[in-house]
Amino acid sequence: MSIVRIACLAALAAAAFAAENNTFLLRNATVHPVSGPAMENASVLVVDGRIAEVGAKIAPKGKVKVIEARGLHVYPGMIDSGSPIGLAEIASVRETVDTGEIGDFNPQLRALIAVNPSSEHIPVVRANGITSVLVTPGSTGGGRGGAAGSLIAGQASLMHLDGWTWEEMEIRRGAAMQMTWPAIQMPRGRGGDIEAMLPGLAARRITFAEARRNQQQQVQKIQDFFDAARRYQKAKAAGEAVQPDLRYEAMIPVLEGKLPVMITAVREREIREALDFAARERLKIVLAGVRRPGKALEEIAKRNIPVILGTTFVPPLEEDDPYDDPFTLPARLHQAGVKFAFASFGTQFARNLPYQAAQAVPFGLPYDEALKSVTLNAAQIWGIDAEYGSIEKGKYADLIVTDGDPLEIRTQVKMMFIRGAPVDLESKHTRLYKRYSARP
Amino acid sequence: MRKNSLPALAAALPVFAFLITAALAETVNWTAIRGARIVPVSGPVIEKGTVLMRNGVIAAVGAQVDVPASAWVIEGNGLTVYPGLIDALSTWALPQPAQAQPAAARGAQPQQPPQQQQQQPQQQQTRSWGPRDRPGTFSWVKAADQLQPGDPRLGQARNAGFTSAAVFPRQGIVAGHGAIINLGGKTAGDMVVAPEAGLYLALRPSGYTGFPSTPMGIMAYFRQLWFDAGHYRQALALYAADPVNIPRPAYDRALEGILGAKRVLLPAADPVQLERMLGLAGDLKTPAVFYGAVRGYEMAARLKETGTPVILNVRWPTRDRDADPEDQDSYRELRIRDLAPTSPAVLSQAGVKWAVSSDGLDSPRAVLRALKQSIDRGLKPEDALRALTLSAAEIYGAADRLGSIEGGKIANLVLADGDLFNDSTRVRMVFIDGVRYLPEPEAPAPQGAPGRGPSHSEEEQ
Repeated sequence: MSIVRIACLAALAAAAFAAENNTFLLRNATVHPVSGPAMENASVLVVDGRIAEVGAKIAPKGKVKVIEARGLHVYPGMIDSGSPIGLAEIASVRETVDTGEIGDFNPQLRALIAVNPSSEHIPVVRANGITSVLVTPGSTGGGRGGAAGSLIAGQASLMHLDGWTWEEMEIRRGAAMQMTWPAIQMPRGRGGDIEAMLPGLAARRITFAEARRNQQQQVQKIQDFFDAARRYQKAKAAGEAVQPDLRYEAMIPVLEGKLPVMITAVREREIREALDFAARERLKIVLAGVRRPGKALEEIAKRNIPVILGTTFVPPLEEDDPYDDPFTLPARLHQAGVKFAFASFGTQFARNLPYQAAQAVPFGLPYDEALKSVTLNAAQIWGIDAEYGSIEKGKYADLIVTDGDPLEIRTQVKMMFIRGAPVDLESKHTRLYKRYSARP
Repeated sequence: MRKNSLPALAAALPVFAFLITAALAETVNWTAIRGARIVPVSGPVIEKGTVLMRNGVIAAVGAQVDVPASAWVIEGNGLTVYPGLIDALSTWALPQPAQAQPAAARGAQPQQPPQQQQQQPQQQQTRSWGPRDRPGTFSWVKAADQLQPGDPRLGQARNAGFTSAAVFPRQGIVAGHGAIINLGGKTAGDMVVAPEAGLYLALRPSGYTGFPSTPMGIMAYFRQLWFDAGHYRQALALYAADPVNIPRPAYDRALEGILGAKRVLLPAADPVQLERMLGLAGDLKTPAVFYGAVRGYEMAARLKETGTPVILNVRWPTRDRDADPEDQDSYRELRIRDLAPTSPAVLSQAGVKWAVSSDGLDSPRAVLRALKQSIDRGLKPEDALRALTLSAAEIYGAADRLGSIEGGKIANLVLADGDLFNDSTRVRMVFIDGVRYLPEPEAPAPQGAPGRGPSHSEEEQ
């Protein structure tokens, strides 16, 4: 009997604990659902990790933990649409970098399973209100034009920035196939004087014709790989005996147009080629790292291709481009009717994601769009908007509670919830802050 | 040399000496150009005059010159006589090192073994770690020792009116000693006018193959080299005074080469580099001549103030033929391209002494075409001519023998059928050391000239 009683008590305790952990009522806050207008003095009821109700007056039903948030603001957690966080710790220490597998085509690789949940970067990034990341397997060069080396680097995964293991962090293991469209690359010597060039650079000097040939060879490689994958797919569909190949297997959802391909293409020429390729192969694509779309912008808009923008804190690509070219790019995309989201394409500056979006606001991007570009737009682009990206009934409670606008640098994130569970906001930065504040 | 040894010979062998001096005295070759328009550069133009040459030296110039009966007379009606042109910074007659060719050119000949592609004579060196390894140093190399009288470029140069050049080796960062040469002669020795013209220094970083790999490192290395040379000189002097007690200093060919330098040639492409090189030249305590000066139009005032001459590279910058057609030229590049040809006019106006280098140009004739561009942008033709003749000679301290049509100077002359800077003008003949050279049929320009990509037709393949 007593054993039963103890078991019952334990079960109750467990239930209470669970209820305690991801069920709560957040009260008297200004709620910014992103999907709609802000509501002052509103409450959010979270039950079992999901948003049960959002409204002005919600009466707590039964014993629910109540969190008083007077004077605070509630936003959906932000989503970084591309970062190697968890895969790369210190860029200059090779042992800590797990991106950029050798080989041109690695579609079978899934970024998530290599993620280190204890990465020091994760708490730092969370501290600024980012709850989810599209973790990318390619070695993106800080958003400066994409993965060096690989053409298909692997599958990018969506993950939460909290969990003991990568399984706990998982949102979607295969969220997109990461690909880089080859660019015509010429080592440039300004002034063109071969005498003044470094001998190493002078030796590597190639003509435009050769650079173009190299690029065409890369493109041909991509075409050949897709053709081979398609033969594999057809053979399998026809029930023919095929030698199992993980690479081609991983390509099937891409060929079916189910898994989006995130193609890095920086300038107009690469963008056009990538768009043509996608149309020919009937792929679902997302363009990434776009910086100089030129007239291809109209084509991107016409074909409803979403875009992932890298950091805005860069100088213009060309010497004579307007100084604010990177700042106005988001507004130009918005005016053209292109859906876009932001990505940090890095680890140590991933925490600046909200400010990347903010930088575009004084340069023509409506504030609401800037906010969406780090929340709802990202969720829509990656196909998780049924459960993430805004504060709406039925969605997961990925929330941040702040003392102001999260796109503003001075704003502090006071609380964070991932699937309704509170998340520790301590990070290396706060630890160091405390340590050195206490120094006598 | 010859003059000094002759008395000695005469004492030992009076009979032979008599024969030799008699032979030297008696074989007088007179040549006269009569009735030509003469542009002596050092003085006013003579509309109709005579140049008289005696044994390869100008004997007399003027409207009225008595021509000896034995003289070979060339009727100069309708011809203009100029002093022979001087390329003030050249590699003519020097063996051409394997250039760092564009990769495409190499790719076009895959049958070529890789060792051959990388072959760079005298430049194969191990990684250097510091100044003691003497990185990129060839200060013992003398252009005068390397002349090739059979260089096909000499004929092209004469066809364009050039009779002399200051030629410098070009390897590493301390490239070696230049020489003033005439662009004709039976042997290499005949060509040399002055075996020492200065030491050519370059600011070309090694490209991460060792020290020095930055301009800062190269300049520090130059300073170290000159310090070492000063120390070496002192050590040699002490040893010479007391060879019994003073240890014998190790012979160092690199430092020997530094000690023998009359002047240094330093690059000054733009105002920033000019400032750096002015500082460096002061530290080296050696007279400097600057070369390059693509942006000479911004440097005139400073050059005038410091009284340093400059050798202008007249390969005016143009858009790279290999450029990506979608690349737009920056405003900065366009500005340099536009203003570079005005440098000669700006320098002349400021009173800066400047001469001209054929560096990087496809043909010697292109030097004149480049200067014609500058004349169209405000350069006085007489200033252009002076830069190509007397100024070049003055910069190298050879104006006593070269650079103008005056009595006593070497008989280096150009006879053209019109104004030298007019593209339709043809050079009818040149005289070098009084020897006449007629225009030669030109061989096609060598492919893959330095700094140029392959022709457009190759690109289309």
